Amino acid sequence: MTSPKLTSILASLALGIAGCGGGSSGGSQQEPPPPAPDLATKAEAFQLLNQATFGATEAEAQRVMTLGVEAWVEDQMKRPASLQLPHMRNLPPRENAGLLQQDRVDIWFRNALHGDDQLRQRVAFALSEIMVVSQQGALIEAPFSLASYYDLLVENAFGNYRDLIEDVTLHPAMGVYLSMLGNERPDPASNIRPDENYARELMQLFSIGLVKLNGDGSARLDGQNQAIPTYDQSIIEGFAHVYTGWTYAGFANFEDAFRTPFNQVVPMQLYADFHDTGTKKVLNGVELPAGQTGAADLAAALDNIFDHPNVGPFIALRLIHRLVTSNPSPGYVERVAGVFNDNGSGIRGDLAAVVRKILLDDEARPDMRIEIDGKVKEPLLRLTQLWRAFGARSASGRYPLLASYILFGQGPLQSPSVFNFFRPFYAPPGEIRDSRLVAPELQIATEYQNTVMTNLMFLQCFALNHTNGALGADDVFIDFAEEMNLAGDTDALITRVADKLLAGDISATLRQEIAGMVNRIPESNSVIRAAETIYLIVTSPEYAYQL
Amino acid sequence: MTKLNRRDFLKHSSAAAAFAATPGLAFSQVIGSSASFADYRALVCVFLFGGNDSFNMLVPRSDAEYAVYAASRQNLAIAQQDLLPINPVTSDGVQYGLHPSMSALQNVFEQSGAAAFVTNVGPLIEPTTKDQFFSKSVALPPQLFSHNDQQDQWSSLKGNATSKTGWAGRMADLIRTGVSGQQMATNASLFGSNLFQSADETVAYVMGSEGPVQFEGFSTDPGSLFYEQRVAFQRIVDAGYGSIYERGFADIQNRAIQAADTVSNAIASAPPMATVFPQSQLGTQLATVARLIAVRDELQMQRQLFFVAAGGFDSHDNQIDDQPDLLGGVSDAMAAFYSATVELGISDSVTSFTQSDFGRTLTSNGDGTDHAWGGNQLVLGGAVRGRDLYGSYPLLQIGGDDDVSGGRMIPTTSADQYAATLAKWFGIADADLDVVAPNLANFALRDLGFMIQV
Repeated sequence: MTSPKLTSILASLALGIAGCGGGSSGGSQQEPPPPAPDLATKAEAFQLLNQATFGATEAEAQRVMTLGVEAWVEDQMKRPASLQLPHMRNLPPRENAGLLQQDRVDIWFRNALHGDDQLRQRVAFALSEIMVVSQQGALIEAPFSLASYYDLLVENAFGNYRDLIEDVTLHPAMGVYLSMLGNERPDPASNIRPDENYARELMQLFSIGLVKLNGDGSARLDGQNQAIPTYDQSIIEGFAHVYTGWTYAGFANFEDAFRTPFNQVVPMQLYADFHDTGTKKVLNGVELPAGQTGAADLAAALDNIFDHPNVGPFIALRLIHRLVTSNPSPGYVERVAGVFNDNGSGIRGDLAAVVRKILLDDEARPDMRIEIDGKVKEPLLRLTQLWRAFGARSASGRYPLLASYILFGQGPLQSPSVFNFFRPFYAPPGEIRDSRLVAPELQIATEYQNTVMTNLMFLQCFALNHTNGALGADDVFIDFAEEMNLAGDTDALITRVADKLLAGDISATLRQEIAGMVNRIPESNSVIRAAETIYLIVTSPEYAYQL
Repeated sequence: MTKLNRRDFLKHSSAAAAFAATPGLAFSQVIGSSASFADYRALVCVFLFGGNDSFNMLVPRSDAEYAVYAASRQNLAIAQQDLLPINPVTSDGVQYGLHPSMSALQNVFEQSGAAAFVTNVGPLIEPTTKDQFFSKSVALPPQLFSHNDQQDQWSSLKGNATSKTGWAGRMADLIRTGVSGQQMATNASLFGSNLFQSADETVAYVMGSEGPVQFEGFSTDPGSLFYEQRVAFQRIVDAGYGSIYERGFADIQNRAIQAADTVSNAIASAPPMATVFPQSQLGTQLATVARLIAVRDELQMQRQLFFVAAGGFDSHDNQIDDQPDLLGGVSDAMAAFYSATVELGISDSVTSFTQSDFGRTLTSNGDGTDHAWGGNQLVLGGAVRGRDLYGSYPLLQIGGDDDVSGGRMIPTTSADQYAATLAKWFGIADADLDVVAPNLANFALRDLGFMIQV
């Protein structure tokens, strides 16, 4: 019953899916735990998993119910990191950078869908949406450099924020993306001054933001009820002079340095004769003295940013946004920021403690749901949740979705700019904006993008499924054999899919509409019945919602 | 652990409060006019994301001024003999030329007389001199030189106020009762949702660069299973939901369903055009805009505001290598669009205009430029008082009277005045121009004169 148009879409769409061994859906290979009462409900488990993984599955929910939320989080944090660069290095030679970018996206999907370190992967993804670098721009030519950058986010996800910003600052991918690489000391004769790009964005987007904040993330106001800027142009210039003299490692001269397979994945190197040695004005009235080495200036500058009181609430709010809810209470932000400031053992910047606090705070698991709890799921997470729940894979084992950004409005390290796919304080017109609330993910949920996504889900359910014998080796298909077995019983079919995707919590309207459609389909056509059920659920507003 | 009463949250949302600054102007009191229009007009905003280095787009070519330009720009200066000469009908005593990649635009300027430049324009709250800038004795737009803040300034003209609406959005709100018969939203974007078209009452319709996309799973054939699909889908979207997020998502789905049919059917009926557009992102978007304009009668449109855009203008690096494609791309796409409007016989009714985060520093950082302020914008269309320059083109002198540092030019014309001139042509009443451009009253000229205002 595939329409001609659908067939041609199938043919032209290069959706690849890699099958993959292992994966978290199989659960642990240890002996089963002794019988014990569940420490979490199924609803709580799904809620946690949609906050802390790339999509809840029933198998993983069972683990949460057995271990409890806190122990599950601890267990996640102990798991070794799944990386990209080692995989990339083991690949056969490719003809061009585009194919390697495809490989980079492929390994991202494999790690997101099947990595055992789900929480670490989810946090790294969140960090990649804050400390943005992107293949859109010069880095399209540097897939290994991008893979290496993503790995640094993965490896730092449960480390210290001070180490994170140093590694980010010195990574050549960031150096290229925000122009610190090759930035030189002033040359007044040629009207050359240091590039200010990184100086500005490190403060504005990665650490402290534009205005001074209270501990709860609200703007501090002066006597005239105005927000107070955190820095001015002179401070940007000060930092811009700090970030001079760094470029690709391994050359005798600054001016001769260029990208090589070796240096594109190691920190930038300081070339002292291109570092500015004047005084430099930084934050909080501090002036770095003249004559310091580039390394000393850098360390002092990053300490200066790290110590700024804004960092706690700034990072707390953004990580809460990515993981749990778009409109946290001031108290929630303040509690998480407090953990950033001091993890309980006197350490500032402990990201593991921050993530733990975000997920274990009462507000992450509210007793009584109110209408501002939760958030809209990002399109990529809607996709990965479906794929995890239905064992999505391709014959080839690959997920070569380089077109992710085009198809879903977002993709790993594919942001259109350093401002990520959506801004933190976007509010669509209507009720959300009128109530002074935000819903950042709705910025890319335009009529166009929503329709494209709905159509992709239609294609996925009706064509890219396990019953289709005409799939290409790289086509990612979902497996709903189990659902087909229930297709004779409409109610049971709907319940099964709702259990898998909505923790069983499906609205009466949605159930009724699905039943109406399914009952029009002959009972013998179990493929279409199952496809229709999944399609209407994954395109529904309640699936798009993450509590 | 004490449980915070999260219902109290709505009284002081941390997210929104982080943006609390001075109380905003009461844009929600936009009343506007209910008069309908006798004619059709369209504005097309071409946003150049990143900050276009427009002092290399329109360049002084007379010897004395060129020498100052070349000394300032050093290795980034365009060679004098490579500039494409233009001959504006009024002269400020200086001769000008265009970047060598802009021959298509040169033609529209010189031969068709349908292009004009508005020079050294940028966000200002009130007229500002260099001394006033440093002594902070005038109000200045906040976060100058920051990309997203200056994109927002151009889009909303908000100055120091908080505003969640853009000047195109406010125009749509002002005229909404008069154009209530339109089958498509007044504001349409081919480059995603944006602040420029955000409004209190109306909502912009967001399409892809080739137009709206149809829903695959819906059929108009009563024999098909998917005939009922659309009905079921609509009922799911219309259901009541307990969270603001579900409701927000459902709202967008609903608009998508309604508009996809209407607009797609209309575009499908458009006759093919002879005008050839470049196959760039910008060319594709403008070709679609042309097709939409071609079916304006079928959609019962009287007033339209289109948003298209191109990225890549943030030339911190490789500026000399990148500018020919960037500026040539703008020139080719916009000139093609003008030709298309001529082909459709409505070139007098369609005006396209550029905006950009900011101009760029005259000084170099080695191989590129940094964020600056004032820059040159381009206006194109049959109703433009073309073949001329507007505003005051500064002497491009480092450390000169217009330079606040590193060759950042203080605008001599404000974005408010630029917008108001376009809004007036669009049909906004004079009294309402201050809603469109909130800082307009601080400037002497409410109309910069680059449109033939009839």
